[in-house]
Amino acid sequence: MASENDDPACKRWPHRIYGVGNEPDPRFTLANERTFLAWIRTALALMAAGVGVEALNAAAGTGPDPLRTSLAVLLLLAGVVCSIAAFGRWMTMERALRTNSPLPPPKLAPILGFGLGVIGLAALVLLLISGF
Amino acid sequence: MGSEVPDERHGPWDPGLQIERTTLAWLRTGLTFVVGLMVLLRLLVHRSAVAAAVCAAVTIPLAVAITVLSWSRHRQAERRLRADDPLPDGVLHASFTASAVLAGVVGTVYVLLM
Repeated sequence: MASENDDPACKRWPHRIYGVGNEPDPRFTLANERTFLAWIRTALALMAAGVGVEALNAAAGTGPDPLRTSLAVLLLLAGVVCSIAAFGRWMTMERALRTNSPLPPPKLAPILGFGLGVIGLAALVLLLISGF
Repeated sequence: MGSEVPDERHGPWDPGLQIERTTLAWLRTGLTFVVGLMVLLRLLVHRSAVAAAVCAAVTIPLAVAITVLSWSRHRQAERRLRADDPLPDGVLHASFTASAVLAGVVGTVYVLLM
């Protein structure tokens, strides 16, 4: 738990995190790591959903439907945003752990929750009006 | 807290098996990459065998590298904790993020072109 800032062996990247504060309890660092990975898996699941919607386009054999294509692109871009945000949040959290300051609330979680709700409703409407 | 824990100062040796859980999370995420990759390649083969082969040649070594790096990170974390050194840094986090962004871009290009 010693301060490692002056240690020349401690050339850890990114400096924006490791240049401040003290080493936190390793358990907290590892938990933060697992949370980051959970967000990355969520991002990959969003992308998989996008590719899945596009596969319906391919399976229909009637040419691409613009509604399906836009839903697929929306899901894929949401996945990209989610993975970038995951890294940003991991950095913020690790910094907060090192400086012993309170953890900021998750900004992405409510957006993702409501966003997925809206996408689910849109998919339901698509299903009802066009058989998807 | 079990009294047989070797050293109480070292949090990760508590009954929570922190390093194992974290390594499994890394491997699970790597596996998700591999599965997603296979689905995408399977879809691409229908459209263009050449595109699928190029995509496979680029991404399969990437997926293997991710898995190997996740495992070596596990050993590094074990070693450092035993030596009371700080844990590994954020390079692998950035690599995973970059791979996920790459996957999203490839997927978007696929959807827009097909």
